[in-house]
Amino acid sequence: MKITIKEYCVRCGLCQDLYPELFKYNSEVDAIDINYDEVPEELTEKARKAAADCAVTAIFLK
Amino acid sequence: MKEVSVDLAVMGSGLAGLAAAVTAIEKGLKVAVFEKRPFQGGGISNTPMCTMAVRDDKAYIDKAFNVHMNYTNWNADPAVAHTWIKNSCRIPEYIRGLGLDFQAEVPTPLEEIGAKRGYGGGFPNGYHLGDYYFFKARGKGHGAALICKSAAEKFVKLGGEIYFNSPIKKIIKEGNKVVGALAYDKEGNEIKINTKALIVASGGFSDNPEFVKRYTGHTYTNNNCDDGGNVLFNTFPNSQMTGDGQSAVWEIGGAQGSMGINGHNLVPGPGIIGNTPWIVFNETRTMQEQPYLWVNQLGQRFINEEMSNDHMTMGTAIANQKDKCGYLVFDEDTVKHMENEGLDYIYMIFPAERLHNVREQFEELINVKKNKHVFLANSLEELCEQTGIDAENMKNTVENYNRFCDQKHDDEFGKNPKFLRPVKYKKFYALRVFKGGYQAMGGIKINGKCEVLDEDFRVIKGLYSAGDCAAGEVFGNPPIGGIGMSSISFAQGFASADEAFKYINE
Repeated sequence: MKITIKEYCVRCGLCQDLYPELFKYNSEVDAIDINYDEVPEELTEKARKAAADCAVTAIFLK
Repeated sequence: MKEVSVDLAVMGSGLAGLAAAVTAIEKGLKVAVFEKRPFQGGGISNTPMCTMAVRDDKAYIDKAFNVHMNYTNWNADPAVAHTWIKNSCRIPEYIRGLGLDFQAEVPTPLEEIGAKRGYGGGFPNGYHLGDYYFFKARGKGHGAALICKSAAEKFVKLGGEIYFNSPIKKIIKEGNKVVGALAYDKEGNEIKINTKALIVASGGFSDNPEFVKRYTGHTYTNNNCDDGGNVLFNTFPNSQMTGDGQSAVWEIGGAQGSMGINGHNLVPGPGIIGNTPWIVFNETRTMQEQPYLWVNQLGQRFINEEMSNDHMTMGTAIANQKDKCGYLVFDEDTVKHMENEGLDYIYMIFPAERLHNVREQFEELINVKKNKHVFLANSLEELCEQTGIDAENMKNTVENYNRFCDQKHDDEFGKNPKFLRPVKYKKFYALRVFKGGYQAMGGIKINGKCEVLDEDFRVIKGLYSAGDCAAGEVFGNPPIGGIGMSSISFAQGFASADEAFKYINE
């Protein structure tokens, strides 16, 4: 599973607060960094939750 | 050089800018929005919150207006305040028109306008003026982010254009009339905007430390700062609100309006809140809302603690104390009360009725998170040693306070006896609380038509302002009072578009 974040992400940082294993707000470039190119099996459920919790549907999984 | 020609240009795509853009395009104007970030929403995208709409009824509008003006000692500009109150009636219909709904609506009856403070009816700042509408969010996200996204989508669907990564940096004026602006795209290329009118809705200046210092006297820090500071900005971190609109308007002769900070009470430092202030890592945020004993660094009470759930008031009161901090102090008996009988103030954002394992939470913050503003002691003397509170004064304060508890009357501040809980039994707990900043705002002087004024109070034709950058006159000077900014942003957005439309068609 791969995570992508759309450009229209509002950088609120909610994903980092709820799922710090997967996301980190990068203040230098004002963007959310994804911690894994390929999400480890044990974190896939969290990734699904993150996509469902995003305020503006900016997190996509494939 | 790229050139864009429109009837109306809008600087900023937060609540105010988009409310203006949608309203104007629905009237048939050709509208373009210029946004410096790669997405819409401004600072508000970081908050779930609610908004306030006064009921569309003359009696309600009259009362809300007069309550507000009296509250500000008529320092607010009455025409600007009236425009806000009157146009706030349109908010629910506007949001429903975006295809969105509310998760809760809390009406305020006529007789309760101005009669309630704190968030008894759902509002943490100041007094109740109207009905409160809680935004419905997606997932665990922020309702206002969804409103902005939906508004942007509606605007584009109606034929509007949003230029992202394209800050407006200069306003072009011919004589006393605005005729255009200059924006710059991501590569730094100039975009010349020819427009009949411009609405500046670029937000506050929370992310501009120099402006914060110069115009409010406070020192900028972020929410994870561990050493206090004069003010702690936490609510919209990293939202890049740097006062660009204010700077551009002042450069062409716009007058400086009232500027200030909409603050609240906040325990800073690690382990308490996340990047989004609505995600808390423990129950400290709820504890500091409670109406128990509050003292300052001198060991003296400084407020009727019934106000402790009124964020703006507490933020202001705390900032007036020595070292700009206050302490919530309680004992083991009060911990049991909060855990077993429940909280006295339920906080709508984190609506726990009871707390859990308060001591463990304190121990974790102190020992694991190393938060320097959380204290746990075996005696009051030890607590004073840890906090630096004046021990002699503290002893007297607590003796008096405990006597008030026994006699069920607060001789000092007249606090409601049901909130009088003695401080007697170990362990003793304290939280050091600072003034946090929701937003630093104001700076553009407008009139009741949202028209920007110059130093001589003359209208700069074709130039309007709405939202946080223009909110100063809603409260007046001295500083901005605490009230739901979202309500003002929406209302000024609608009003500025109405007035720009009239001007363009004259």
